[in-house]
Amino acid sequence: MINPYEVLGVREGTSKEDIKKAYRELAKKYHPDQYGDNPLKDLAEERMQELNEAYDSLMKNHNSSSSYSSNTEYNSSNNYGAKSSDDYSNNNIYQSVRMDLNSGNIPSAEQKLGTMSTKTAEWNFLMGMVHLKKGWHDSAYNFISRACTQEPNNIEYRRSFNELNQRTSNYRDNYYGKRNNDAGMGNMCLNLWCADSICECLGGDLISCC
Amino acid sequence: MFGYVTPCKMEMKIKDYEKFKAYYCGLCRSIKSNFGNLPRVTLNFDMTFLAILLDSLSDSKYNFIEFKCLVHPLKKRLMINNNEALDYAAFCNITLAYYKLMDDAQDNKTIKSKVSSMFLKNYLPKPNRLANSNPLENNTATYNKLAYNEVMDYTKDKIQLLNTFEAHNKDMSIDEHLSIDELSDVFADLTGFIISFYYKEAPFKEDLYWLGYNLGKWIYIIDAYDDLEKDMKNNEFNAINSLINNDKLDFESFSTLVKPRIDFLLSTCAQQCLKHLNNLPLIKNEDILYNILELGLMEKMDKVLNGKSDVYNLKGVEYKNDKSL
Repeated sequence: MINPYEVLGVREGTSKEDIKKAYRELAKKYHPDQYGDNPLKDLAEERMQELNEAYDSLMKNHNSSSSYSSNTEYNSSNNYGAKSSDDYSNNNIYQSVRMDLNSGNIPSAEQKLGTMSTKTAEWNFLMGMVHLKKGWHDSAYNFISRACTQEPNNIEYRRSFNELNQRTSNYRDNYYGKRNNDAGMGNMCLNLWCADSICECLGGDLISCC
Repeated sequence: MFGYVTPCKMEMKIKDYEKFKAYYCGLCRSIKSNFGNLPRVTLNFDMTFLAILLDSLSDSKYNFIEFKCLVHPLKKRLMINNNEALDYAAFCNITLAYYKLMDDAQDNKTIKSKVSSMFLKNYLPKPNRLANSNPLENNTATYNKLAYNEVMDYTKDKIQLLNTFEAHNKDMSIDEHLSIDELSDVFADLTGFIISFYYKEAPFKEDLYWLGYNLGKWIYIIDAYDDLEKDMKNNEFNAINSLINNDKLDFESFSTLVKPRIDFLLSTCAQQCLKHLNNLPLIKNEDILYNILELGLMEKMDKVLNGKSDVYNLKGVEYKNDKSL
């Protein structure tokens, strides 16, 4: 097995904090998501895998040897599997962004999202929500629709996206509806008149006054 | 860029239409008495909407008078007189028109805008003159003086900012381009500021601001779309063309491509205006305001985006192949 310290580019015996820092730096650099369809993506994926393994094994060692209380961090990152151990800290940020959004602290939410380098579906969704609150509807629409493409099965994203479209179509219907109603009334009168004429032709009378 | 916020006349009651006209004439008169005769040419419908909106939140009674208008000398008309909201709208009208002209003069260096901005400069609000027009109420006069200065400074800053954004956009690479939201934010914020400034102590200030914000954005974008063909032909800055048309398409293909996006943006803004109007404690003019924000904006969008005329709204009128049946 490759030396995990080498993979992360740190010296043996480095503190846990430094390992984490080094890992984050490298993960940012090699995260496959940012490569798109670039052929480098595969290479990045491979490298990411190595990083994750090295990080995990080092963290395990640290946990057994030292009495750091942040077991949870390791456990959670493990839960998310080898995809990215960044996820845990990301989720923490997402949580606080959601709290900011609820309390109306938009600048803080935007600033937090701005510092993140991995643009997951949730990131796009939350950024969309921030822009929606700022009244920036065009970019909000783009962010939320991107979140929907990234995670098509997420109900929350889908619902927000539909709401966006619903709002405008309701508003539009109000205007077009008035016109259509008018036309409907016109048609009804015309139909009645026709019916009346036909009845009169046949000797009867549907509307007596005309 | 003004004159897009109009009522949907076909759906209006006669009394509301008359009231709207009375506000319009009142605004014209207020410009005359506060600033002079010449600036009356800058009179526009958007500012009439501003006056109606602000007045709808105050419990003052309508003060109608009959008068004869010089432009239409034969008929007697109604107008609203002695109304604070109208005076404020008149002041905003002149301020905006002046800074917009100044901006154009720097931009295009056309003789027309240069001359008009020079002319208008003499008429620019002089706080003292405003104060004198109201000798009985000394307190409000000094308040007006300060307040009006604040609005003027804010307008100046924002229009200048918009101008630098527009000018610098040419030199930027595509990655650095502002988004359409970022650019229109400047004018939107200015509109929000102007509208909510009049009631800056009131609890409904936020709703007024957001109504103004969305309306300002709507105006900025519909104006850009309306001018798209002209600007593309003359190779002038156009918010939509310069920010979105990255592939340098020609007008025909670009306008069809971008239309759904603009349509979405405009109707969202309009819908938001209506939403915030619903939150306001309106005392009068409800029908006019709802007519404008619910139907008037849609009608304008229909006209600008799809090229449909107002007549289309009439009962039973149907068009096929551009010919009336």
